Amino acid sequence: MGDLAIVIPFLPILSAAVIFIFMHSARKAAARISVIITLLTFILALIELTSYALGGFSRVEIIGTLWGSVWLDPLTLIMWSFVCGISLLVHMYSVRYMVEEANYTRFFALLDLMTATILFMVSAADLITLLVAWFLVGVVLYFLLGHDTNRPAAGRYAFWTQITYRAGDVPLWLAAFVLIRSYHSISLPVIFSRLQMYPHLDAFWGLSIPELVGFLLAFAAFARSAQFLLHGWLPYTMDGPTPVSALMHAGIVNAGGFLFNRFFPVFEHASIVLHFVFIVGLITAVVGSAMMLIQNDVKRSLGYSTMGQMGFMVMECGVGAFALAVFHLIAHGFFKASLFLGAGNIIGEAREHDGVPPDSVYTSIVERRPAKPSRLPWLAAAALTIIVPVVVLSVSHLFVSSRLLHEQGVIILLFFGWVTGAQALFATHKMTHTNPWRLMGGILGSFVLVVIGYTLISHYFGHFLYPHGEGYQLYSAASINSVYFDVLVIILALLFVGAWALTFFADSSGWWDRADQGRWRGVYLALYALLSRELYVNDLYARMTQVLLSGARRLNVLLRWC
Amino acid sequence: MDIILWIVAGSLLPWFPFSWIFNRLLVSAPGAWARALAVIVLPQLGLLLLLKSGAWYVLGQEMPIALRALALFTAILYAYRAAGTRDVQIWARFMATSGLSLTWLLVGLLPQHWDMQLFVLAWSIPAALMLIWAGVLTKQTGASYLGLSGGFARVLPRLSVLISLTALAATATPIFPNFFALLQAMESLPIIWMPLLLLVLLLWGWTVGRLLQDLLFGIYHGEAVHDLSVAGTWLGGLTLGVFALVGIFWGGIWIIN
Repeated sequence: MGDLAIVIPFLPILSAAVIFIFMHSARKAAARISVIITLLTFILALIELTSYALGGFSRVEIIGTLWGSVWLDPLTLIMWSFVCGISLLVHMYSVRYMVEEANYTRFFALLDLMTATILFMVSAADLITLLVAWFLVGVVLYFLLGHDTNRPAAGRYAFWTQITYRAGDVPLWLAAFVLIRSYHSISLPVIFSRLQMYPHLDAFWGLSIPELVGFLLAFAAFARSAQFLLHGWLPYTMDGPTPVSALMHAGIVNAGGFLFNRFFPVFEHASIVLHFVFIVGLITAVVGSAMMLIQNDVKRSLGYSTMGQMGFMVMECGVGAFALAVFHLIAHGFFKASLFLGAGNIIGEAREHDGVPPDSVYTSIVERRPAKPSRLPWLAAAALTIIVPVVVLSVSHLFVSSRLLHEQGVIILLFFGWVTGAQALFATHKMTHTNPWRLMGGILGSFVLVVIGYTLISHYFGHFLYPHGEGYQLYSAASINSVYFDVLVIILALLFVGAWALTFFADSSGWWDRADQGRWRGVYLALYALLSRELYVNDLYARMTQVLLSGARRLNVLLRWC
Repeated sequence: MDIILWIVAGSLLPWFPFSWIFNRLLVSAPGAWARALAVIVLPQLGLLLLLKSGAWYVLGQEMPIALRALALFTAILYAYRAAGTRDVQIWARFMATSGLSLTWLLVGLLPQHWDMQLFVLAWSIPAALMLIWAGVLTKQTGASYLGLSGGFARVLPRLSVLISLTALAATATPIFPNFFALLQAMESLPIIWMPLLLLVLLLWGWTVGRLLQDLLFGIYHGEAVHDLSVAGTWLGGLTLGVFALVGIFWGGIWIIN
């Protein structure tokens, strides 16, 4: 099957070349060829994945003489199928969605080029191929986002994306050269095997080679996956065509999670980097989710939702759950693509039918209207909220593998699952319903199903991706001193339990409203203003750019433009 | 003698402050084609001067750190200055200066003359093409300045495509040869110096982004203009295509050096 595999990333290039050169004005035919070839690529990727699952083995296929190779391992094959699947959806959607746009054929050619570039990026078996593909993703994306050249805003935001991506290219280049210098090869499998033999080579500033490289790779991943301070471009990519937004948010932005997985042997020896990655991911998840909540634009809200999800994905890598991050990026990719592709219909529907019917979830959660009194008793609801997720999550993990419950990374993720599940139950408790026990029962049933499904799938998926137990080594690398960890978990758990119990009690008795009397309103407003200005991050960058440009112009005048 | 050699070589294969003379020479060339020819020939002459005089090897052994600092300073300075201009012709000159100055990083290395000549050509060819497109733009719109009208993508689609691709080629975008030339320059540096070269790469990304933003986006406000002919577009596209192909085949040769 080796020859067949090499053909896969070249097929979209062929399609792009044919459309660019021969089909400039044949709109329908160009779209048809593009869709058919993407479908073919998807089918071939699935065949490769299936043949591997049925007893295949990892191998490297060489394309060029000095560089150019693809690594056909589980990560590549999964990513190929995922990328081709998302790309096919976007292609099919674009056939009608973009039909009235200028440069229709160029759009499809660029989509094909982007698909090919990502396929090479995720399968690169040497550092040069990886650098070339990683770099080109930013370039092709620039032209896709700036498809409508009549709109200066499209150009501006495409430029923001391009420069952030370039900022992320820089640490990847440095990481690549540190690896080449240290392990005397450009081949990733060779580098990784030598790294396992000599993992503690010294680099600079007291860091070992894996730690230095790990930090550099993490920065490269942060730029691609819109982590905090490098996130400003992501919500503004909505100014590109909707299919590009879908491709962007469902596929391209996940490159950070892919990079962590591709270089997992580096992170096995870089615990300090994983701790740093966890903190950055956590901050991003919190900031992204907070900003999502205050948006009044559906697409911008989806953009910040992506930022929050990317934060969570990076955080998963930070706790050592690398395989879970891949599973997360695939699940997120599909649901975010469907949300983006459906957003236009929702907006159109809202414009046509102005009278939005009252929605109980919306009124109770978003508008914060006082709910009707038909609720569970607060103590029963609080007990259900706090205890049920702990039991469900723990039992499901215990069922899959008891060893998992000894890993700190799993405990942290369970903790997040517990907080999220409890919050969902808490929101349910606030909803109005004629039969609150039935409502709570329905939500609990769904929760149990989702958790068991997620646990089983992620476990078997992890085993497929890392069949030799590498996942446990990564969990181990991400661990901290067990005493500190236990104390931290207990304090956090007590804080959360106390806060929920208090919230249930205050909400049920109306105690908070009587005690507050509008004194916190100023704080809420200040926080809202800060978040609505996106924490002034983009303003800061804009000011920096102005200062730099002004300096460049003065220098040019001083040197008489020579 | 050494000082004169330095000045002459620095004026042809630019490093600051003699890069000023290099740019002056390009500006004084009569017309776009002459400028394009000059940006190819002058650096080759500078390189030949260094190689034939033997200074190439001597300098590399005597002052590797000073040369390295000088080359990187020139590359950073001109990349930064390129961000401050909206004129295609000036942009092309500055980018050529920034890229060509990296040749000084390789002084003392690589015994094959042809390899060095290819390295220099990797920066000269996109600059030459860009200077030609600047000439065409001047002929069509009266100037190669992008700050006044903008939105050329709709009124000059063919020329805009060629300028965009050439700008990408000039800023070390894969799979053009100077991407691999940049890898070669990286390989010549100790790790501690590499961030400075990567700063150049970052600045190039910034300058090319600004150029494309000015060139492509917005509504055109100027008078009616004629685009490049189909034959001219094919010729320009073919040149860039061949340039990219050379990149694929030549790229990576530094790995075996």
